[in-house]
Amino acid sequence: MIHPSTELRDICAIVGAGTSRLGKVPGVSSLDLIVEAMRNAISESGVQVSDIDGIICRGPDELYSQHQLVGERLGINAKFSTTATNGGASQILSIALAVMAIRHGLATTVLCGYGRDAWSRTHKSEEARVRNETRPDSQLAKEFGPEYGYFGAAATHAFGATRHMHLYGTTKEHFGHIAVDFREHALRNPDAQMKKVLTMEDYRAQRSIVRPFGLYDCSLRSDAAGAVIVTSRERARDLKQPPVLIKGFGTYNNLRGWFADDNMVMTSAKQAGETAYRMAGLGPRDVDTAQIYDCFTYMVLTQLEDYGFCKKGEGGDFVASGALRLGGALPTNTSGGQLSEAHGEGMLQIVEGVRQMRHTYPAHRQVKDAEIALISGHGGNQVCHSTLILGRA
Amino acid sequence: MSQIPKPVPQPAPESLPYWEAARQHRLELPQCEDCNKHWFPPSRTCPHCLSTQFKWSQVSGRGKVFSFVIYDRIYRPAFTEDVPYVVALVELEEGPRILSNVIGIPPDDVRCDMAVTVVFDDVSDVTSVPKFKPL
Repeated sequence: MIHPSTELRDICAIVGAGTSRLGKVPGVSSLDLIVEAMRNAISESGVQVSDIDGIICRGPDELYSQHQLVGERLGINAKFSTTATNGGASQILSIALAVMAIRHGLATTVLCGYGRDAWSRTHKSEEARVRNETRPDSQLAKEFGPEYGYFGAAATHAFGATRHMHLYGTTKEHFGHIAVDFREHALRNPDAQMKKVLTMEDYRAQRSIVRPFGLYDCSLRSDAAGAVIVTSRERARDLKQPPVLIKGFGTYNNLRGWFADDNMVMTSAKQAGETAYRMAGLGPRDVDTAQIYDCFTYMVLTQLEDYGFCKKGEGGDFVASGALRLGGALPTNTSGGQLSEAHGEGMLQIVEGVRQMRHTYPAHRQVKDAEIALISGHGGNQVCHSTLILGRA
Repeated sequence: MSQIPKPVPQPAPESLPYWEAARQHRLELPQCEDCNKHWFPPSRTCPHCLSTQFKWSQVSGRGKVFSFVIYDRIYRPAFTEDVPYVVALVELEEGPRILSNVIGIPPDDVRCDMAVTVVFDDVSDVTSVPKFKPL
């Protein structure tokens, strides 16, 4: 087995993090949401635009060569720029590419980001709302799916939930703890899309989306973008924000498919996490806060197992223990996550990880004494995964 | 009341033999001439050994439900009469897993690892779709 280079540990830092307006932002395109988030990240960092020589970004899916469109709107030429296409795993992958490019002298300061107008897109008409599709038509299956009435990412992930429940006795109630705890975190976050309390009683009474998932098992449709700036540890010293170190990262891709092997109950978070832990020289016990890609409640549960926060099959008991709450053993998705803050395909979770490492939050939002954050990204037809471990400088 | 047609498969060139066999109520999969394994979805290269020598061979049609989901809501008007319905991933005895519907049983009674066998639904004069019922 090839071991990831520990030389990459701690050589780069995130020096700026920003978001667009989140939730329902009618009349703003995906591209302009990304630009808004990037502008905010640049502005808080103190980085001069003329010092940015890399752009790695993703979104919106319906456009081609997205980094080019972003560079045009920000007036930036780049030594190193590209667009990643690993779905929700792209955003951490972008940061990994940025670190490697900086390490090898291909760029010095790299802007990474993602954004999408998914709320506006799915609320253009009643038909758009019912179809609830955020993918362009070109990504939809032509056979072996639509003829059976099989539509949408909720169903695909629900297959994993059914199988996990069958193998390990996981229950709907377990999924409910995840939805309820993340909503409670969102209520502490003034920027969050969801403003109403969610109780376990509300969760039990939810309408079906595709069983076993109901409404509150599913992440939000949001207009949302996020961005971060990566530069070398040396350059980070002279900037405005406390630098947050990139301690490790890893990726793994179960390209044989979500439906192959045991991939729907043992995700590629396992191998991506092992790589990131090894690069960082850390393990699950060292992690103070986790920001887990929560497209659906079940995906949080399996990733907690796959990352080694508990044993495989024990995720249900782990989430029921209250571990995920602020003040719990592993405060998770402390901004509300994609289930309750806003869905930015994992980008907002990177921003939240950075902010937790800066210790600038008011006490009711801050994970006390947090030194290490683990962030996950998952997507690309459910098989691509990326892991990022951040630490206080 | 006018019936809204369901989506019909739009086969890739490599899946045409699959749908032609289904039209004749046979479940056929590509099988490698070198390693004898079957695979799905159809392609011209064996994903087990990368051989390009393969044949279309009829399989037993028996398998078990690996996992499943239940649709209660109507996301496309064409499925109005079907809800609640089951979409299942069926693991065939020969190994490959294929997506389909499990019919002939109340959705609430479907379980993982339940034994099923193929049946064919003639959705038009030219298209039949493989589905599964409890064995």
